[in-house]
Amino acid sequence: MTPLVGFLTAALLLATPLAGAALTLTDLTGRTVTLPAMPQRIISLVPGATEILFAIGAQDRLVGVTDFCDYPPEARRKPSVGGMLAPSLETMVALRPDLVVATPSGNREETVAQLERLRIPVYLVNPASVADVLRMMEGLGAVTGRRETARQTAQGLRLRIKAVAERVAARPRPRVLYVLWPDPLIVPARGAVVTELIALAGGESVTAGAGEGYPRYSLEAAVAQAPEVILLARHSVAVGPVSLEKWDRLTSLAAIRSGRLHAVDGDLFHRQGARIAEALEALARLIHPGAFPRAATR
Amino acid sequence: MSGAGDGAPRTTAARLAGIVGALGLVLAAAGAAALFVGSAAVTPASVLAVLTGQETAEAVARVVVLDLRLPRIAVAALAGGALAVAGVGFQALTRNPLAEPSVLGVSSGAAFGVVTGQLFGLGLTVLQAFGLTALAFAGAFIAGGAVYLIASTAAGLPVHTLLLAGVIVGIFFSSAITVLISLVDTNRLGGVIHWLLGNVAPIPAGPLLVFAGLTAAGVALVASQARRLNLLALGEEAALQLGVDAEALKRRIFAGAALLTAAVVAFAGPIGFVGLIVPHALRMLLGPDNRVLVPAAALGGGVFLLAADTLARSVVAPAEVSVGVITAFCGAPVFIALLRSRAAMVGRAEPCLTARRAKHGDSPSGARLQP
Repeated sequence: MTPLVGFLTAALLLATPLAGAALTLTDLTGRTVTLPAMPQRIISLVPGATEILFAIGAQDRLVGVTDFCDYPPEARRKPSVGGMLAPSLETMVALRPDLVVATPSGNREETVAQLERLRIPVYLVNPASVADVLRMMEGLGAVTGRRETARQTAQGLRLRIKAVAERVAARPRPRVLYVLWPDPLIVPARGAVVTELIALAGGESVTAGAGEGYPRYSLEAAVAQAPEVILLARHSVAVGPVSLEKWDRLTSLAAIRSGRLHAVDGDLFHRQGARIAEALEALARLIHPGAFPRAATR
Repeated sequence: MSGAGDGAPRTTAARLAGIVGALGLVLAAAGAAALFVGSAAVTPASVLAVLTGQETAEAVARVVVLDLRLPRIAVAALAGGALAVAGVGFQALTRNPLAEPSVLGVSSGAAFGVVTGQLFGLGLTVLQAFGLTALAFAGAFIAGGAVYLIASTAAGLPVHTLLLAGVIVGIFFSSAITVLISLVDTNRLGGVIHWLLGNVAPIPAGPLLVFAGLTAAGVALVASQARRLNLLALGEEAALQLGVDAEALKRRIFAGAALLTAAVVAFAGPIGFVGLIVPHALRMLLGPDNRVLVPAAALGGGVFLLAADTLARSVVAPAEVSVGVITAFCGAPVFIALLRSRAAMVGRAEPCLTARRAKHGDSPSGARLQP
């Protein structure tokens, strides 16, 4: 290294924003978040965001999570601030966060308002599509100074998603009924990420036109749609098994006759985070088993 | 009348001052103790450093003690006092020890008003807090009025009928809330349900002052009528002969109790049974004189809800239980005990609450609870 190069490198280093520089960001909901410096102590109230922070290697900055942040397993070792709905403000304050990541879907507006009153900056994420999830990953990369890693990780996910979509593109699209909750029956509809994932995985969600987001749905209507594949979400082990036998009785359904009733990991599909490509791959294998001979699509 | 000693009762003023002083001390002690309890590991020394305004106090300790614990303690003390006084008011008004905002369905009516407001995006800024309280008051007023209309018979307000009317009106408004909830965006559902369980949360100084003002107004309104309420306890006819305008009195008490209920529901959610437990315990301790009971309830209710909330925020820390769950656990057994003990029935002698006279020869059996 010549002295000149050394000098230039030093000059470049000095020109890059250091941790002490103020930072102005736009979060996923369009709010402007101004931080006095690159945040070093982040609390995540969003399990999906927790997964992303781990995936982009920013877990050292994470000082607090919720009781629901159980993936990756190391997330369990972070101090918990309580649930998503009513996390303890005291515990959060005691962790001295310089940023809290929260979501309008799952956290209460009141929690966000109280944090702001205490002058703790809040970065809101609210992914409503696969593209949003990738944006959220890049946003959290910008917040933690891991822009490049986040970009590469997001690019990797993008390629995996594209690979799945291409693999199933030419195949006939089976009619898929996804059951988010069995009783009352709750299904993904317009604008739900799961609806988009089903389409990307080469299926046709029979409830795509049932309303907005995740509406309640009648069992009759679901049966009348003659689904060819039925997927029942299982939400964490604590909630218990899905009611497979309840659906098994509906032998008039093509999906039941052909044995295409599957339980899937709900967390994988509803926690929009770093495992979104994994969720899509799992979904595509169930919808088009023929397109994915035993070998995994890694 | 008991509790004031036999024979010539001591002057109420001296006794009142003693009781209020003692309960005030208990409340202050409970509040001070609650400052040291919480999920954040703030040492007692740092709490003291913050309270004495020392420079050495850490920023975290200062925020936890002054911005989180102190306002929350204030809200708990205010809400508990308001609910207990509302309970005393409703009990005196109906001459029924089981009457209480949540039992009478008044809380549910108020909650319906608040959920309606929340759907329109009202929060707890100073101005919006007034709006929420107004909606809660309207709901409480409608619910209370409905209960009265359903339960009032030619023979007054029979105990059973009043309770059933309260239960049914409560169920009606709960169902109405369910309808509203099903229209809420699922993302906000959790928030509404969390609120419906009844929680004490730290609120900013402006709305806190509004809440304190509303509570003070409601307590003052009920307290100002305490002497007349004592006369009303003798029965409506007797009260009339002693120069009490029973109808006007009942309207004032209803307005005061409904205002207190509405304020609590707007600022903390529908917390139940405080208005049942606290007045009942105080009556056993201090006797039935409303002049003593109302101020005692204002302080004692604060002590009770403060204790319940401190339990709520420490029992499963760092997660928190809703304080409404704890009060319901305490309240249901008290309610059942009161319902079972016929001796507790006040107003057995004369169940009529309306000025209309009971039909001749009717025994006022409506007031008795048949086991």
